[in-house]
Amino acid sequence: MISEKKPGKISRYGMSVDIDKCTGCGACMIACAVENNVPPAQEGATDLTGLTWMRVFKVDNGQEYPAKQSVYFPMMCQHCGLETPCYLVCPQQAVDVDPATGIVGQIPGRCLGCRYCMAACPYHARYFNWWDPKWPAGMEKTLNPNVAPRMRGVVEKCNFCHGRWHAAVQRAAEAGLKEIQPGDYVPACVEACPAGAIQFGDLNDPSSAPSKAAKDPQSFRLLVKLGTEPKVYYHSRREWARRIGDPSQAPDGKETSHG
Amino acid sequence: MDNMDRRFIPAGVSRCSTRNFLLWLAPWAALLAFGLYAAALCLIKGLNQTHMNNRFAFGLWIFLDLTVIALGAGAFFTGFLLYILKLKELRAVINSAVVIGLMCYGGAMAVLAVDVGQPLRSWFTFWYPNVHSMLAEVTFCISCYLTVLLIEYVPIVLKNRKLREIPSFLVFEHELHKLVYVFAGVGTFLSFFHQGSLGGLYGVLRGRPFAFREELGIWPSTFFLFILSAAAVGPCFVLLTTWLVQTITGKRLVKPQVLQSLGRISGLLLAAYVFLKTVDTFVWLNRTTPRSGFLPAQYYAWKPFGIWILFAEMALFLAPMVILLLPKLRARTGWLVSAAVMACCGVAVNRFVLTIQTLALPTLSFDRFLHYVPSWQETGSFLAVVAAGVLVYSISFRYFVLFPEERELRTGPPAAPQTEPALAGR
Amino acid sequence: MLPWNYGFHWTLGTMIFMGAFYTVLAIVAATLISAAWRSRRHLRSGTAEEVRWHSDFHDLPARDRPCRHQLTGELEYRDCQNSFDCRQCDTHRTLLEQRPPSKPDGKSYEDFGMTFPLDRMYHRGHTWVRRERNGTVTIGLDDFGRRLFGKPDSVELPRKGQRIRLNGAAWRIRKGNLDQPVLSPLNGIVLETGGPDSEWYLKVRPAHPDLRHLLEGSEVQFWVAGEMERLQGALSAAGTAPNMVNGPTDVAAIAAACPTACWEAVCGTMFLRP
Repeated sequence: MISEKKPGKISRYGMSVDIDKCTGCGACMIACAVENNVPPAQEGATDLTGLTWMRVFKVDNGQEYPAKQSVYFPMMCQHCGLETPCYLVCPQQAVDVDPATGIVGQIPGRCLGCRYCMAACPYHARYFNWWDPKWPAGMEKTLNPNVAPRMRGVVEKCNFCHGRWHAAVQRAAEAGLKEIQPGDYVPACVEACPAGAIQFGDLNDPSSAPSKAAKDPQSFRLLVKLGTEPKVYYHSRREWARRIGDPSQAPDGKETSHG
Repeated sequence: MDNMDRRFIPAGVSRCSTRNFLLWLAPWAALLAFGLYAAALCLIKGLNQTHMNNRFAFGLWIFLDLTVIALGAGAFFTGFLLYILKLKELRAVINSAVVIGLMCYGGAMAVLAVDVGQPLRSWFTFWYPNVHSMLAEVTFCISCYLTVLLIEYVPIVLKNRKLREIPSFLVFEHELHKLVYVFAGVGTFLSFFHQGSLGGLYGVLRGRPFAFREELGIWPSTFFLFILSAAAVGPCFVLLTTWLVQTITGKRLVKPQVLQSLGRISGLLLAAYVFLKTVDTFVWLNRTTPRSGFLPAQYYAWKPFGIWILFAEMALFLAPMVILLLPKLRARTGWLVSAAVMACCGVAVNRFVLTIQTLALPTLSFDRFLHYVPSWQETGSFLAVVAAGVLVYSISFRYFVLFPEERELRTGPPAAPQTEPALAGR
Repeated sequence: MLPWNYGFHWTLGTMIFMGAFYTVLAIVAATLISAAWRSRRHLRSGTAEEVRWHSDFHDLPARDRPCRHQLTGELEYRDCQNSFDCRQCDTHRTLLEQRPPSKPDGKSYEDFGMTFPLDRMYHRGHTWVRRERNGTVTIGLDDFGRRLFGKPDSVELPRKGQRIRLNGAAWRIRKGNLDQPVLSPLNGIVLETGGPDSEWYLKVRPAHPDLRHLLEGSEVQFWVAGEMERLQGALSAAGTAPNMVNGPTDVAAIAAACPTACWEAVCGTMFLRP
């Protein structure tokens, strides 16, 4: 469902991730969970039933010592710009593509929990609330008052901290500015990364880091041939790492462990 | 009580004693109770009771839903053949087919209510529909079709020997039956779309190249293939259940030609399906897949879903097609029933491949192949549907006329006429 | 769903989709309402009995619905298409014109231990109709029906002045658990009632003098033979199958020898009202 009001400036927010710089520390994962009120894992949860809007994978080049190399690969919603799979398949229009920012948002209050979007997403970026959210006693003090928690039985995913964009627009309006300043809207993972591996910006702005990454020949995106036009650009100097985005690599070449 | 019970049993047929009937119902009722408990656990405690996860978003329930809806297609297709194409011999099985359809679709809806995370929000699909979503189309069509099936069931109930003594029931049933062709037509229209959309559910997933198919018009090829396979296998399932009921009850319920006729129709549709599916498979493996950046070999590189599964699926359609198209084999019950079983299994494998295998296969290059085994709660919930189906069918068989030819077949062929010379034609 | 819902857009896709949905709903609703309204009309105009007969007739196996002209051998094979109402039938009219019924030879037809006087007409539900000089008719139960049922424990007769409808229940005879309605051979108003002890059951003023749908004359013997065949079929369906080709053909004896449950089913079949 496209938002009803007409947008002012059209942005296309994207990310660039330098996987050579990523150390796999996981600060981005924690920051994301804290910012977005993601509940801690319940008893019985596994790595496949937890909620990890941001998730760092470890990917190897499939060789043995001493040629073995690894990268750490942060995965989040790619905010597909064309033929957005989840948006097209949701029967209740619970996926909202914001025309002002290009951000693919989720409307948890309308989500039925049919999980069709989860089947549709090739990046496995969507997560289902298999349990009722519960925070241990005392932990409710860490909750972010600006983000609504979700109920059991609905799907959620990374939304580039869309609430922070709203806050930035508010601040710009209060300051009498027409547009938000480039540095004023930054998702939690970008803010938390100590190595500066994740950069965020408007792909329509040629001076932003993602725009530059888009033109860099050492950048790649995941599953480009599917035609989804993801807005997250990964960058590596290593050739084998750049082939991560190509799914026709031999399936038994790469190991996975989850950070 | 036996006497009271007898009054409700249709005229001209015999049924077992009330005690034996209750003995038959008891284990199914127990299974239903167990299954309802399993489903209740899922509803109360949440879907963490299942073994589905973020990668296996659909599991046993969706696979079995798709299969039973394909098997229940016999209801609409038999109705279409009888009331629209006027194949009169199918009158012998239409009532049974309607009950089967009702149980299949009702069961599928019940399981879906447990499968979604927020069942009370089910009406959202109607209130804010996304008309481009295949699942919205499925929801609308199946809801309407279930209503139509319920309406088609009402005359069967109202025709009960005792109930029709109530004049309003009698005349309402009569008037409904006069308009049954309207419901058959609406049912065919709805079924065409929802069987197709169930195929379209997976065919549109460009993020899952294993399932993704190219479009014919606005629908992927799986849309049409699903309609065809459902129409082909529906009569097989009607045939199978009729044979099963005949065997269990030890009664002759239909003339053998009816079963063979169903088999023949199935065989013809299976032939069309096998041909189109072969073409589709070639296009999918040689053109669609490389365009998505994947290699066909990747689909079958993982145990246990090797290339054998593709051949198994084709074989399970090819073998019954051959058997059902040969009149000599069709005339033999053993061959006929085996072919029907194979076709039903074929459709189950086809639905399995598109649901479970699709989700098991990795899309990202660093993904692993995943395993999934349903939990007992999932299995139990589905067994509740099976049990409910058997219960409703048994009760309908006992008290309503599901097989109109049964009465005729009881009297057997007329006795050799007492040779009255005056009877000879003048 | 509705145009004022948030997120509703007037696109072609929406209009086709919702249009189809609403059309289907409208068709289903209209059909249900139409059926309900017609039912109400039936109930109000009292044609429920007619509907019942059509429904019962429709459910009879083909072997129980032969055309009277098939029984007599004039036609090779024909199922009745008019619920035994020969007044509506073109085939019957044509055949009557080609071969007007001949005068019956003899006063009655006797066979299988039963007597069928030929001064009266017969209805396939085993009632007979005799025209009286004053324009009324007398209706009774024929010999087959009497012997099959035996002496009823009680009867329920219509009141004087009550209307009886063709193929509706004229009167009911009861024995043990069985309450068997006997089909009325015509439309009319009851003038007097008799009973099992008298020779007739009802004296009726017919609504219409046209009684072409009743069997008479030379047709009767073929019909009776057909009924004996039907009886055998009904007995074997009910589980007892006396060999009637060489064995006893006394209907009363057969009825007496039959276990009660079978006899009830057989009566329902033979009286065309299960």
